[in-house]
Amino acid sequence: MTQVVASDAAIREIEQLLYQEASYLDAADLDGWIDLYTQDGTYWMPVIPDQESPLDHISLFYDDRVLMEVRRRNIKHPRAASKDYPVRCSHIISNIRFADEADEADKADKADEADEDDASCTVHSNFHCLMYYNGKQTMYGGRYTHELVRQDGRWMIRHKRVDLINCDAALNTIIIYI
Amino acid sequence: MSYSNASIADLVQPTKLHRNLYVDPQVFDLEMQRIWGNAWIYIGHDSQVPQPGDYITLNYGSMPVVMVRDRQGAVHVLHNRCGHKGAKLVDKPCGKVSAFRCCYHGWTYKLDGTLAGVPHMAGYEGTGFDKSDPQYSMQKLASSSHRGFVFATLNANPPTLRDWMGGAGDVLDNLCDRSPEGEVEAAGGVLRYEHECNWKLFLENLNDTMHPMVVHQSVVDAAIDYIKTLPEDSPRRDEAEIIPPFGASYEAFEATGITGFRYGHHYDGGKTSIHANYSVDPDYERVMLDAYGPERTREILTFNTHNTLFYPSLTIKSAVQNIRVVRPIAVDRTVIETWSFRLKGAPESMLRRTLLYSRLINSNGSMVGPDDLTAYFRVQQGLQSSASQWVEMHRNYGADQDLGDRLVNTGTSDLDMRTQYAAWKQYMTEAA
Repeated sequence: MTQVVASDAAIREIEQLLYQEASYLDAADLDGWIDLYTQDGTYWMPVIPDQESPLDHISLFYDDRVLMEVRRRNIKHPRAASKDYPVRCSHIISNIRFADEADEADKADKADEADEDDASCTVHSNFHCLMYYNGKQTMYGGRYTHELVRQDGRWMIRHKRVDLINCDAALNTIIIYI
Repeated sequence: MSYSNASIADLVQPTKLHRNLYVDPQVFDLEMQRIWGNAWIYIGHDSQVPQPGDYITLNYGSMPVVMVRDRQGAVHVLHNRCGHKGAKLVDKPCGKVSAFRCCYHGWTYKLDGTLAGVPHMAGYEGTGFDKSDPQYSMQKLASSSHRGFVFATLNANPPTLRDWMGGAGDVLDNLCDRSPEGEVEAAGGVLRYEHECNWKLFLENLNDTMHPMVVHQSVVDAAIDYIKTLPEDSPRRDEAEIIPPFGASYEAFEATGITGFRYGHHYDGGKTSIHANYSVDPDYERVMLDAYGPERTREILTFNTHNTLFYPSLTIKSAVQNIRVVRPIAVDRTVIETWSFRLKGAPESMLRRTLLYSRLINSNGSMVGPDDLTAYFRVQQGLQSSASQWVEMHRNYGADQDLGDRLVNTGTSDLDMRTQYAAWKQYMTEAA
């Protein structure tokens, strides 16, 4: 059996996408952020560990394109009282690895080489997000799962899952995607 | 200062409320004793403990309690405290046990709370300690349920649950009648949302129909702006039925009416509400017609209330099948829980819509709940000011119509405030 290792270039490209997404969220820029997602893209933040379904169980967030579009308009609305306060974040992403190492890395590698549309891969990472909002600094942390798909010669996000380590605690408002 | 009954009564005037109601920790402590210690407090739904030994834990006021089903099938609400040194006996949100066993010295209790075993009894001989003395068992709260909704109270002499609910109980019945089998079960988990405000600010908002068009303008505008960009033949979305009614006009909310009852309960809507124009799933309609026939089905589905408060701990949306539960923590801190319910015998699409609603409107990450919470937070902050000792509640004062068992007024009135605070005053002064 041949062990497949993703090329540095493929890994770098995917890392850059995750950093780009984090940087839009750091600046609360949902106009830039939404363009990283495919038209059928979804964003999910479960409320229990190992949650299986976004539809048959309550979630903190489960947005498809329609709700992402509403949210990016809402965040800029002059009369959204909860958005009166600046939102400043600092996301740190690390421990980036492919879901099924050999298989997923192979797919990413091949896609990178062939520049093949519709190729896909799943990437896990750990994150810390420091968020300053309404006079309070909150630390969120947990694991991201990004399902990526190759479209028009670049990686796009088809699905992002955010598992907060304290997802089932009594949390305060989460004013923006993490 | 300490409060006499007269000075407590003075905090609530016919058209104004003293700010200490919201900011004084002493008032909060008295409320915990006199309101939360005497009213029927919502504990949970019996579908959360389907089998013997199944339990859930929660706080009743600040006291840890456990709801458990015993071997005979009866549901008990017990103080979650060992009769020995007082340790909490179970400390998971939910679970299953064959008996309660203390983690500290191994005292064990039957599922009805009776003390069953104390290790190494020899040392107690001749000491006067009697294992069968009920004071060493897990203490029971008085509990009672209506269609699976379990309430408990520390009140030694409470009214019956049905009498206490009064006409507001019709809404709990309507929630269950929306199932073709007449039964609901808790499903799809819970959202817990920390609110940095006094618990009463959340209650006051439930039937406050003068706020949605102001507080929720931003999400309604955002949704409508986006919907406008979509082609006309775009598929129907539940979101497009759920969000825009939050921006309904003053006149529309006026027409919904508010109904108030004894003990502080009230609802807005009845003939109509912001949930009245939701599409009806044809598969759901069919199972309802099969179960109830056309006339009764229409009666059930057109009883459209918005929020119904069972003062002080439970608010339900029968038309949406979710509930919110109030858990006060401190004078300026409250946790709100949102639970969703499955209509037994209805298609799963109904539960999915309920969960969508809970997520879209009540979640910590939603575009609706956080704007409400910001308003409560600012009231909590603003009332630190000594500019005035009072908050105002005059709307339609003097025009509440007394129908015997209930008061009614226009949907934009402060009838809900008057109803709540009449009960507040009664609990706070009579129960002393």
